Amino acid sequence: MVDIEIKRDRIVIRYKGKKWDWMIEPRYWRNAIVWTCVLFVFPLVAYFVSPGLINTMVTANIYAAIAIPLSLMTVGTGRINFGPNFYVGVGGYTAALLSIYCGWGPLTTLPFAVILSVFAAVIFSPLVIVARGLYYVLLTLLLPLVFLEVTFIYTGIFKGDVGLFGVDLLVQFENVKLNFIMAAYISAGIMLLYLLIVNKVLKSRYGLIMATVNDDEEVAHGIGVNINKVKILSFVCAAGMIGVMGWFLAHYFGTFAGITYLPLTFMLKILLVFMVGGRAQVFGCVAGGYFIAFLEMILIRTMGQFQPVAFPIILLILLFVLPSGEGLFGIYRKRHYREYLPTIHVRR
Amino acid sequence: MSELLKVSNVTKRFGGLVAVDNVSFSIREGETVGFIGPNGAGKSTVVNLLSGYLKVDAGEIEMDGTRITKMKPYERTRLGLSRTYQIPRPFPELTALMSVITSVLCGKRRINQSFEDAAVEATQYLEFVGLFSKRNILARDLTFYELRMLELARALATTPRLLLIDEVMAGLNPAEAKRAVDMVVRAKEQFGPTIFWIEHVMAIIVDAAERIIAINYGQMIADGTPDEVINNEAVIEAYLGKGWREYA
Repeated sequence: MVDIEIKRDRIVIRYKGKKWDWMIEPRYWRNAIVWTCVLFVFPLVAYFVSPGLINTMVTANIYAAIAIPLSLMTVGTGRINFGPNFYVGVGGYTAALLSIYCGWGPLTTLPFAVILSVFAAVIFSPLVIVARGLYYVLLTLLLPLVFLEVTFIYTGIFKGDVGLFGVDLLVQFENVKLNFIMAAYISAGIMLLYLLIVNKVLKSRYGLIMATVNDDEEVAHGIGVNINKVKILSFVCAAGMIGVMGWFLAHYFGTFAGITYLPLTFMLKILLVFMVGGRAQVFGCVAGGYFIAFLEMILIRTMGQFQPVAFPIILLILLFVLPSGEGLFGIYRKRHYREYLPTIHVRR
Repeated sequence: MSELLKVSNVTKRFGGLVAVDNVSFSIREGETVGFIGPNGAGKSTVVNLLSGYLKVDAGEIEMDGTRITKMKPYERTRLGLSRTYQIPRPFPELTALMSVITSVLCGKRRINQSFEDAAVEATQYLEFVGLFSKRNILARDLTFYELRMLELARALATTPRLLLIDEVMAGLNPAEAKRAVDMVVRAKEQFGPTIFWIEHVMAIIVDAAERIIAINYGQMIADGTPDEVINNEAVIEAYLGKGWREYA
């Protein structure tokens, strides 16, 4: 049985000969609590100041919530997946099809969206073992594009050209602005949950093991790491998490079209969030998500038709200027080591 | 002393080249066995076969009575077989402490061990090899000698029964090499693993090993005490060439 022991600064959990420590010191959680409060106050402020900002916040949360599992996948497999939007497509279409054809609500479609995304990831998981480098990039890049073609070929089912309409909405209040606020809280909740889970995993023994796979697979194998298990598990779990965002998109907009999420444009935004925020930095994904979503919104409002040109130019400049591979989060932490885990100081 | 490792008629081919040809030997528990041979003799190939990085084409490898021929490297490590590399291969983005913690976590199974417990155990290995003060330095920022020591700490942290050491002195200056050799000897005294030690420098291995195995062109040419092996005609010929007497 699970044995839980509460100490002054931590909770100790023992289960089947394994032991986990969970820090509960207030100073350990201070930054997290402050930023969570900011996230939850923002929609309320935006409600009175500029309701359009709530939609931008939802977009930012979606970008971040896709980039966070992508970080987990990147660290755990030691490879950058160029087609995370494939799982957005699988989750989104599953939710939309079940909602339209079976009349199911969001809560009923959620487990199926996760299961189908995980199932798709299991089928394609051998890729992380057999392919590396350019081959892995090309194969993962092709998956969403092939799926997009499938939605056009079987247009009777997927409505490839216009998308599926009539999906049950996530929240249905009479006040539309209230719907947006609720969607903002749900998206922020999912994003924060992902942040908590992925950060906890990366800081745990499993995160360290993933980091070794990321650094040198062969040596990791040699010190007792079952690298195939680590790679497949991180690939499949992250894919399931990304699939949930497809479910969210389908039920948030009440429609789902592969043409919006499966092409390169959406995938590039996710990868930019990932790179600008900080490669494989979970907190950087949040910074990157908000930066990209708000930059896009500001440029649309100020530059109008020039936005499609200015947006990539600004991002390209940023990619050159930001610390290599560390992004916005790297600026924040540039005076610290680039270790995957907090430094453990041992007193002699 | 019981037999810890048994290698029977192991062969490895790379295309048309037979890198290891029908090699058989055994290692007893607690021994320090030297493994010598000139460049390209197949020493590192044998280590790669033993640690599971390469698959054998023919033959069997047994460890403590268990056939490990088809086991993956991580399974062999958990069984108690660990190795170091000829050219150090650290985890460049991890600190020295984190690198060793991974070995503690992934090597031999310890009951009721949290991440923090593993960190405490890892510091013991770092202290042993003299890297305690460098525990929070990224591995890529360590010197060559320190990387060698980190490799040794990482290998010891898996609590091996058999430690394969691949040319510990390569790339070190004489003073560092002496310290490295002393460290291996101390590691054996303190942690008690059986050592299978590949080395190029004869003088070192003759002093450190109880038994020496020599190979050339993938074939075993001698197996015996250091005195027997260094006086073996085939071993001298392998190092100096067939007509060495004419120039002696």
